[in-house]
Amino acid sequence: MNQPLIELENVGVAFSAQRRVGSGKFWALEDVSLRLRQGERLGIIGRNGAGKSTLLRVIAGILEPDRGSMRRRTLSCQLLSLNVGFTPYLSGRDNAILSGLMIGLRQRDIVSRLPAIQEFSELGDFFDQPIATYSSGMLMRLGFSVAMQAEPDVLLIDEVLAVGDAEFQEKSGSALRERMRQGHTVVLVSHDETQIAALCDRLVWIEDGKSICEGSRDEVFAAYHRQLVLASEAP
Amino acid sequence: MRQHLIELIRFSTYAELRAERSRSYLGLVWWVAEPAMMMGAFWLVFDVILKTGGPDYLPFLLVGLTLWQWMKSCITHGGYAIWGNLGLIRQVRIPVLVFPLVQIFADTIKFFYIFALLLVVLWVAGFPPNITYLALPAVFVVTLLFSAGGGFLVSAVVPLIPDLRFVIEQILTMVMFLSGVVFALDAVPPPLQEWFALNPVVTLLDATRGILMHAQWPDWLALLKVSLISVVVCAIGIGVVLRLSPRYPKLAS
Repeated sequence: MNQPLIELENVGVAFSAQRRVGSGKFWALEDVSLRLRQGERLGIIGRNGAGKSTLLRVIAGILEPDRGSMRRRTLSCQLLSLNVGFTPYLSGRDNAILSGLMIGLRQRDIVSRLPAIQEFSELGDFFDQPIATYSSGMLMRLGFSVAMQAEPDVLLIDEVLAVGDAEFQEKSGSALRERMRQGHTVVLVSHDETQIAALCDRLVWIEDGKSICEGSRDEVFAAYHRQLVLASEAP
Repeated sequence: MRQHLIELIRFSTYAELRAERSRSYLGLVWWVAEPAMMMGAFWLVFDVILKTGGPDYLPFLLVGLTLWQWMKSCITHGGYAIWGNLGLIRQVRIPVLVFPLVQIFADTIKFFYIFALLLVVLWVAGFPPNITYLALPAVFVVTLLFSAGGGFLVSAVVPLIPDLRFVIEQILTMVMFLSGVVFALDAVPPPLQEWFALNPVVTLLDATRGILMHAQWPDWLALLKVSLISVVVCAIGIGVVLRLSPRYPKLAS
């Protein structure tokens, strides 16, 4: 139980700076260490470009570390992303199945949830129309409804807590918070401190690709704010 | 895990075919109209104008183009599949081999529809079914292996160097002309013929034409050689894709 599910030690990830032969590397993550345990809700904070999203993709197993080590137990991690694999000329129904398969669901599971997806996305008869005919709001509602079906061991969320118009934002936001409260293991990336404060119990603070500190929510927030104040007072 | 991958590949193939059908105004008609128009052009140039077609040129051309179209689609569509799905590869963790495989399966299913139509045309044109049809599955398996291998190889490198696509189109056009798709290789001077015969595409076309038009059993030894080459190409292609797969999520599309 207390054995970490995922453990990163001094992990770095490099990208080539541009699509040229022999172009230099740039390290989006330089030195990040963190531990994630069962049932934990871990928040990742840091400024724009600090490497939060890259880190999330490392945890998801999409990117492999170029240095450092990552230990993970056999488990499924899923980045909650909208409209994965959506194809314009297919119906909402077919897209829901396709997308569900891509985010790791079995076909029978996704098919049995189609009525729920249709209901939640409020698409009505449009569900059987090609999604090329959808408005952007309809597309987002479908995307969110499908993405919510994923049931990984660890759910990774990158600031898409609420999508669509005001009404659907409320609905999608609360559905997601509900998921997080059900005791799933969650990693959440967000700029929104109130959101992080409300949803996470532990935090990791990332700055320039390095993990500055990891600990309980209040501890890390305190350190983070001290630094922000210092930075604003500096000449 | 494996069950899930099979479901994913199966449904993606269905989705690909279905999307292609609804993408264009005439949908499925293009599956046949496109090769038919191409055939018309070659027939006009080589048979009507240059008079170099030879006897039975139309069925010769028809069989050649149908088979070549299948091989070429597998190599190009399969070959561009990873590159075309980089956006997806950055979002989800899916074995990248799925993408070329789906294209290759979709093109193979398409080929079977077109081939069924080709058979009907041949029967009407006076080339009835014969006992050597039994060898067709073997020829097709080798053809699929060969094209899939080419597709995997191309798919591995195109994401890294997308400009290769322009070169590949040219190379494929050249291969088509060097493989006796549009004219018989008998017209080639004898010393060169030996070199031409080393081309696996020539062996596959000869075998198919022999079966469909002349009730001739394939040259099994040549077919065996091609199948060995195909297995090697496939293995190298898959190996390169697997080897490069950690790099794909880092690429911009």
